[in-house]
Amino acid sequence: MTARDRRLRHAVLMRALPVIPFAVLLIVWAVGWEIARPPLITLPSPLEVGQTVHRLWDSGQLQANTSASMYRWLLGFGVGVVSGLLLGVPAGLSPLIARMVEPVVSFFMAISGIVWLPIAIVWFGLGTPTVVFIIWNSVFFLIFANTVLGVRSVATVLEDGVRTLGASRVHVITRVLIPGALPHILEGLRSGLGFGWRALIAAEIIGASTGLGAMIYQAKEFLRTDVIVTGVIIIAAIGLLLDAGLGLVERRTIERWGLVTEGARTR
Amino acid sequence: MRAKIAADEGGTSAGPRLRPRGSVIRTPRVPRRILPLLFVVPFLVIIAAWVLAKSAFGVSGAALPSIGDVIRASSQLIDWGILPYDVAASLYRIALGTALAIVIGVPLGLLLGTSRYGVIMFGPFLRFFRAVSGIAILPLLIIWFGFTETTIQVAILYTALIPIIFSTMIGVRTIPPAYRDAIETMGGGSARLMRDVYLPGALASIVVGIRLGVGYGWRALIAGEMLVGAGGLGFMIFGALQFHALGQIVAGMILIGLLYLVIDRLILAPVEDATVRRWGVQRG
Repeated sequence: MTARDRRLRHAVLMRALPVIPFAVLLIVWAVGWEIARPPLITLPSPLEVGQTVHRLWDSGQLQANTSASMYRWLLGFGVGVVSGLLLGVPAGLSPLIARMVEPVVSFFMAISGIVWLPIAIVWFGLGTPTVVFIIWNSVFFLIFANTVLGVRSVATVLEDGVRTLGASRVHVITRVLIPGALPHILEGLRSGLGFGWRALIAAEIIGASTGLGAMIYQAKEFLRTDVIVTGVIIIAAIGLLLDAGLGLVERRTIERWGLVTEGARTR
Repeated sequence: MRAKIAADEGGTSAGPRLRPRGSVIRTPRVPRRILPLLFVVPFLVIIAAWVLAKSAFGVSGAALPSIGDVIRASSQLIDWGILPYDVAASLYRIALGTALAIVIGVPLGLLLGTSRYGVIMFGPFLRFFRAVSGIAILPLLIIWFGFTETTIQVAILYTALIPIIFSTMIGVRTIPPAYRDAIETMGGGSARLMRDVYLPGALASIVVGIRLGVGYGWRALIAGEMLVGAGGLGFMIFGALQFHALGQIVAGMILIGLLYLVIDRLILAPVEDATVRRWGVQRG
């Protein structure tokens, strides 16, 4: 066997390995289901899940619920990111303010998201505003805390260097501190993305009548495990896609600028 | 794989060096002695805004409880014995769920981490299940186990398990191979390797994973208690919604925040610091 063959075999193996656990799970699920034949209220077969995807798509429920969820997520996440950045950058510039707000931010991070649900329902009723508020709440503090940390951890040397060359304060902030804070900001975005998506599902389960979260919770009333399993898989897939999208942004920005840490690259 | 691994993935993170005081914008000089006390200022601002909203703008009790309402609700709940009961229920659940997740997750993570192929093979699999949150599988768990303690327990266990496996696995992978080679050269078997290299080497990462797991698990716990309704703090604040008892809701929220901070900052963070200092092979 030549070296080239060996390299090829290695590359194929590397691609094939991650598929194995999924394939095993699918086979165990399919074969186990065929043997045990559990009723639908216990577990659907993989085939039924496939049919359910088809059925939900044809009836338009899947598109409607997915777009309802995505709309809420975009709104809550967008407002959370913008407000977190707008407040986080100035707070990061002042070490005094940064230190001062740290405990209050920690406290609100400890109760972010789902904990606000009862009072959000009192304030906004059931539906989109409550869900958006919960997502904003989950995202904002993460972005804020990471932005503050990012701005504060930019090496003073870089800033001094630019200032020695006669740069203005605005210049230092826009050209040095914000790009320098980007790795931390993106890390905040990444956690915020995950937490926001999770909070969305939780908020929809309890506080809304449309959306993917509501879809799987309503399915529970009718013991439709096929709809639940389908919904769960779609929820996970969208979560992973969003994460992959952010990974793309990371590659285009901080990795290209050489700002990324070794650890982040190994993901 | 030195340097810092995102907190999300577990792994030990070297704390960033923070900027010294006042470079871009000037901040007033504050005497050293009162500096650590300044953290009360934002809390005072919030309380002032709260009082102002109630007194000056007359926000009704149906939208915002007064501070008095919250204190009254707390003392009532303590008097009736509800609060201690719910706190105990929540703490017991998170403790049991985390303990089970550690017992199952750490050995699994160690096993997967010992082989390079294990990580490549199971990395995406674990990532997929990390995307399936414990809250999302709650409807299924409710069908399987009903509105019971088991449902909440399984949701916490599942939620805490994934980050613990992941962090442990990554932790083992980040151990410099030289340590393993050294033991193997001296004739150490795999049990020896596990005890003397993998476990201590990954310990800092494991603790990070446990901390993450508790953080995720705590949210799953609150959500689970809201839906299942078998006592606990999540049930307490959600149940209060039915009676429109806003004082009770806010009291519960504050308590949930404080309890989590105590668990995370006073118990887990010191353990993490101590572990990283003692076993953190990643520094330097």
